[in-house]
Amino acid sequence: MDSFIKLSNFSKVWPYAQLFWQGILVTVLLSVFTVVIGFVLALILALMRLSNFCPLGFLGLDKNGHRRQRGFLAAVGRFNPLNFLATAYVEILRSTPVIVQVFIIYYGVFSLIRLPSFLMFGFIRFERFFPGVVALGLNSGAYLCEIIRAGIQSIDGGQTEAARSLGLSQSQNMRYIILPQAVKNILPAIANEFVIIIKESAITYTIGVQDIMSAVNAVKGATFIIIEPLLVATAIYFCLCFPTSKLIAYFERRMSRGDKR
Amino acid sequence: MATRDSLIKVTDLKKHYNMGAIKALDGITTEIFKGDVMAVIGPSGSGKSTFLRSLNLLEEPTEGSIIFDGIDITKKKYVNESGKTVNLNIDLLRQKMGMVFQHFNLFPHMTILGNMTLAPMKVKGMSKDEAETRALMLLDRVGLKDRAGAYPIQLSGGQKQRVAIVRALAMEPEVMLFDEPTSALDPEMVGEVLDVMKELAQEGMTMVCVTHEMGFAREVGNRVLFMADGLLMEEGTPEQVFDHPQNPRLKDFLAKVL
Repeated sequence: MDSFIKLSNFSKVWPYAQLFWQGILVTVLLSVFTVVIGFVLALILALMRLSNFCPLGFLGLDKNGHRRQRGFLAAVGRFNPLNFLATAYVEILRSTPVIVQVFIIYYGVFSLIRLPSFLMFGFIRFERFFPGVVALGLNSGAYLCEIIRAGIQSIDGGQTEAARSLGLSQSQNMRYIILPQAVKNILPAIANEFVIIIKESAITYTIGVQDIMSAVNAVKGATFIIIEPLLVATAIYFCLCFPTSKLIAYFERRMSRGDKR
Repeated sequence: MATRDSLIKVTDLKKHYNMGAIKALDGITTEIFKGDVMAVIGPSGSGKSTFLRSLNLLEEPTEGSIIFDGIDITKKKYVNESGKTVNLNIDLLRQKMGMVFQHFNLFPHMTILGNMTLAPMKVKGMSKDEAETRALMLLDRVGLKDRAGAYPIQLSGGQKQRVAIVRALAMEPEVMLFDEPTSALDPEMVGEVLDVMKELAQEGMTMVCVTHEMGFAREVGNRVLFMADGLLMEEGTPEQVFDHPQNPRLKDFLAKVL
């Protein structure tokens, strides 16, 4: 009986090892940049969602200067455009497929913006790599936003009350009291998002980013074998993701140990 | 009595939730004078804490007014001395009101010294050296100077609450608000916290204490407020309230707790 995997085929893949090494570098770089962009974006989005910016607040006050309790004007006074925009962004990004977002960014946005065409590290095509990073970053920003928001909201309200009662402003409270505690709590979740992005970044081969999947595609095109390079890719992805998530779990346990309060 | 300076004047203060379905405060009128040690007592759910938290706007009142330093702080804007309408600066106002919480609310990621110096440095713009010197002096007063480098997690409940009190004092407030400061403590630690509060009262600090410690209210307080159902039921000197209660709710309450 014929096996669908032929050992001899692996030796035919071997000459293309260089492509896989390059693919690993691209995938890791892509994931690191994506997490950084995603985190910065997510922090801004989360602060927007938790902000108290009500430009129409004066409409919500009655003639004595007290806040109205009910009615249309009370709702208008409470309207927070920053929160609205951030919420809309997060919900749209989380409710549409990544591949659609990647295509829209690459074929849509970056057809209007001409990117310089040069090679990073001698082989990474910048005009493909950059849209990939942007698309994945915008996507993971939405997910990380929810993680950060949950992290901020997990901090006991008494912390804010204590800080505000000492005269700290809302932004000082965020900066000195809430964020330092929240970031520590959500570091494992951010690292998990990193693992997710390593896997999700495979999608960017569809716009010509030379990641691990694109190496598989190149081998397929040259040798007409598909299963064996896919198995190589599987092994590589596993070797990237599994140790990382184990490492995260280890640090998660260690961090929670010193945190009994 | 007539010459005492008014510090906080509360008029018909109301706090409603759910469009008025729940009335946590239903019209409180009272006045706090400089040097007062006011104990607020009453059954749980009577609105004591809400009243206290309204004073520094941790709860936003639904109706009524709170005049503090000549300004109605329940309004978002006020007219200043030169006749201009300016926005109310809540942060500036809260600096003048120290607050101590039932659950201490120390900042767990900072040392005791860090807890004490943060607000003086960031809010008052004090230098690090000055803030630390003053913090150590205050810690010395409550016998915790040697714990300055420790983290809150390493302290006992009583120690945490003493730190919380001097943390508020570091901002040199005009009035101190205590929200059941001994309720979360083990019984053997209640005394050390009450001693600090007693000392503070003797130094002339204006204090408003929501408390279940009737002994403290009677001994240290010069005025006692009894609240129930969001209403101020009875107000008077400790002798009046504890020895000659008038309101049936107060009589009932005292019978249960004394």
